[in-house]
Amino acid sequence: MQHVALLAFDKEKCKPFFDRLTELFYQHHHSEKQNSEEYEKLLYMVKKPYDNKMLDMIDQWMGLGKREWREETTREVKLALYAIRYPDTLLLDSFTENPRSDIRRLSAYLHFTHHTYAIWDEDTRKGLEKIGIKIPQTEVADPFIYGAYVSAIELLKDVAPFTCFLEHDVPRQRLFQSALAAYGREE
Amino acid sequence: MSGSEIVEGYTPNFEAWIRDFNEWQTRIGFDPSWLGDYRFDIKFDWDTAGDSIEFGDFKGMPKWERRMQIPQQNIRDAIISMVSVQGDTEFASVEQQNHLLATAPTEYDKKSALRIMCEEQRHGWQMAYLLCTYFGEQGVREAAKLLERNAQDGTRILGSFNAPIDHWLDFFCFTHFIDRDGKYQLKMLSTSSFKPLAASMGPMLKEESFHLGTGANGLRRIVKQGVIPCELLQKYLNKWISTGLDLFGTDDSTSAQWAYVYGVKGRYDERESDIEADRGHLNEASRELYFQELREEMRRISAARKEGEPELFIPSDKFNRGIGNYAGKNFTIHGEKFEGSDEEYKAYLVSVLPTEEDENKLMNDYMKREWIQYREWKGN
Repeated sequence: MQHVALLAFDKEKCKPFFDRLTELFYQHHHSEKQNSEEYEKLLYMVKKPYDNKMLDMIDQWMGLGKREWREETTREVKLALYAIRYPDTLLLDSFTENPRSDIRRLSAYLHFTHHTYAIWDEDTRKGLEKIGIKIPQTEVADPFIYGAYVSAIELLKDVAPFTCFLEHDVPRQRLFQSALAAYGREE
Repeated sequence: MSGSEIVEGYTPNFEAWIRDFNEWQTRIGFDPSWLGDYRFDIKFDWDTAGDSIEFGDFKGMPKWERRMQIPQQNIRDAIISMVSVQGDTEFASVEQQNHLLATAPTEYDKKSALRIMCEEQRHGWQMAYLLCTYFGEQGVREAAKLLERNAQDGTRILGSFNAPIDHWLDFFCFTHFIDRDGKYQLKMLSTSSFKPLAASMGPMLKEESFHLGTGANGLRRIVKQGVIPCELLQKYLNKWISTGLDLFGTDDSTSAQWAYVYGVKGRYDERESDIEADRGHLNEASRELYFQELREEMRRISAARKEGEPELFIPSDKFNRGIGNYAGKNFTIHGEKFEGSDEEYKAYLVSVLPTEEDENKLMNDYMKREWIQYREWKGN
């Protein structure tokens, strides 16, 4: 999946997106819904040792409901957050059904604990599709689909011109993911 | 030539230079093991470099890709000089900063500074590669000099790059103010008529944005923490900003004008601007854009301060200047002409610039506490 997405990559198709990346980023990240101030606080507040309160704060910022996980499931996820190494996503396969059922939640945990993983978001997926990178729709944390999503954003970071790189206090994955989300929402 | 490229094979000239580089690292105390798996790649972004000369008297002609295509020796000399100055600053900053790794306030800051030093060295490699690969014996000699001059000995080309960076507040000021000047210089070269130079700038600018971000975020984290009083921080801003402004060079500069005529170095907003360049005041125009950017950035940084702390601001561009029309003249930080004797002005400077006593207080009191907002290193 990942290789198909990358082999079919058309840099020319990205040009309109790269040309507007800064504007698109501000549109999404600084929108009221995204609460950029809270996001930026989380960048600092989520730190080792991870505790349930930190996960709650992430859930709250994401607008997700309360985690209905058993304590050992939460522990298992927290251990995985320590163990996982970017850009690996295969570890997701070892989770029980409950945490695997919500890719948005898991990707947000990965994002705030590592900064290099991108938050899964349907608009972002659509944004990728508009520039020719087709990632299947999913709600489940499939390691291959999420892996392709993460690699695609990483690839964009590599090929984007320097004008895309703002000196903003957010990780570059967030910069690109936010801009893609705004781009994906456009008709 | 098209697309982005990482150069795989090097010329013998550059291979020889790399041996000198390895010795330079040892000489300045930069342990190569700190690099981890970082590689000093030579990167070109041919897509953003452009095919035709974009401004100046050669506008519209194909960009020069080799030395022999450059029509005059004085243009070659101007290019060599610009590449040398750029390379000189890259190595100088590593000489100025590498001692700070041992006293980093957090692992995040240590890793960020290390990344900056790796990337600055890569930028130096890139400039040395251009000199060794495109400019024959003259280039090889200039590339060797990049490693012979030294910030500790005060022999680097530009003043700011000989100034000591004694602590992490200076480091954050340096990356915020001086690296920001670097961003301007790189962007001005990104439209150069010498295509390999223009194509070098894209990858360098991408990396530079992290350096500026480190400076701006570092200052914001200090202000947010509220341990170092804004009054003291202001003195460090006063110290570094005039240095940053001086780096743009003299007013009414003829060398900037010639560089523009040759198409070698453009304006900061060359591609975005739709007005004719004022060739007689090129340095002033870029400096003004830089100055405006500093003011906007400082508003964001200052907004993080604790209640009751005074607002941080960018001092006047007339204050404490060493280069240009205001050089050596007595102005206050607010841009008013200082009414008083030179002796009184010296006393005034003591009140607005860091003194030895300030340095002691900063390093032996404030910096012994939790003086900067904690941030965890999230890299793998």
